[in-house]
Amino acid sequence: MRSVSFSCLIFVVMLVALGAIFLWVPTEKEMGIVQRIFYFHVPAAFSSFLAFFLVFIGSIQYLRTREDKWDRLALCSAELGVIFALIVLITGPLWAKPIWGVYWRWEPRLTSMLITFTIYVAYLMVRGYGANSAPVQRISAVLGILAFANVPLVYYAVDLWAADQQLHPPRNVELEPTMQYTKWICYAAFFLLLFRLIAQRMELARIEKAVALLRQKLIDET
Amino acid sequence: MSFFGRALAILHKDLKAEWRTKARLSPMVFFILLMLLVFNFSFDLGGAALREIGPGTLWSSYVFASLLSLSRSFTDERDNDALDALLLAPGDRGAIYLGKMLGNFVFLLAIELLSLPFFALFFNLSLGFFLLPLLAIFVLGSACMASAGTLFAALSNNMRLRELMLPLLLLPMILPALISCVEATGLALANDCCEKLFPHLQMLGVYAVVFTVLSLMLFEYAIEE
Repeated sequence: MRSVSFSCLIFVVMLVALGAIFLWVPTEKEMGIVQRIFYFHVPAAFSSFLAFFLVFIGSIQYLRTREDKWDRLALCSAELGVIFALIVLITGPLWAKPIWGVYWRWEPRLTSMLITFTIYVAYLMVRGYGANSAPVQRISAVLGILAFANVPLVYYAVDLWAADQQLHPPRNVELEPTMQYTKWICYAAFFLLLFRLIAQRMELARIEKAVALLRQKLIDET
Repeated sequence: MSFFGRALAILHKDLKAEWRTKARLSPMVFFILLMLLVFNFSFDLGGAALREIGPGTLWSSYVFASLLSLSRSFTDERDNDALDALLLAPGDRGAIYLGKMLGNFVFLLAIELLSLPFFALFFNLSLGFFLLPLLAIFVLGSACMASAGTLFAALSNNMRLRELMLPLLLLPMILPALISCVEATGLALANDCCEKLFPHLQMLGVYAVVFTVLSLMLFEYAIEE
């Protein structure tokens, strides 16, 4: 029941966010209608970083306690972080084509996001193909910690590499109040969605594990 | 035996094994020569674009060679269950990491230095002042690759699809260091030293320190049987 009302809340917040993006907020005067993609792009980026931070927390806690729930948190957050990062990497080029004239430029923000994305895809590869059961949880916990520690290094190195070709809008742009409010509503919608999906996915992972154990028990008995 | 004593003992063992078998150095240097041939036909290295793509080809060859070399550092220990014996040794397992890391560092640096004459020959570089900053870049670059690479070699050692997983994991992780290596090498070859070069060296130093410290902390979990 609680999860249903939580889902209803997310539905309402998302409707409000969509209304704000498409009906309420004024069109940006230089970029035009395409600027509205910003309200998806930026919250998705922050959501993916939040998810990667949860991978980090889950990994540390798993190594400390060896409890399955922390491993599940790390795995499920990594999957959703990758999906949200993918949203960033898709909405970015869609915005860039009309504004910059090209889909992709090798400039700091884009490059760092792409590298971060590949690191977590590699993490998921290990979980998918690398090994099975106990070792994979331990190995991925080590990876989850290293991956997050690497993120600031990626940003620093890429900034150093391409500092002179920064076209990406800076993080602290002055926004008109309506735009500011719309941005906050979108943050709320994305964060709520992220938490809901992680919770849902963790529950699914728990059931998967329980089913696998039952199946094993059945095989052992027969 | 002290922590460093044990690390040095492992380093000594790895160097001695390499000295007797030459199983890593000579094939790797030959591999780099072959990579150069491949790059030559892919990019026409003799052309005017040399300054542009030279550092990139140099470090691409080093990274691929080091992937092969790093994967050996723990698979060699699988024979006769030598790794189990290492793990049975009392004391902090960080010493195993440190010893292996130093060994990999020496191998990678040696591979880079031994193959440098080929680059100089094929790229028509006249040796000069840039050798000094280049040496610093090699030392720091090898330290970066050895610090992260040794831990990932240990991690992937227990995995299914071991040979595939090491590059999949290590390549995206090593990218920040690789970016700085390529940039710094380009600056050094263009004799554009000091001011622009220093931040890149700093970046490599930070990367090596961060990964060495994290690896010392996490190695125990990476290798646990």
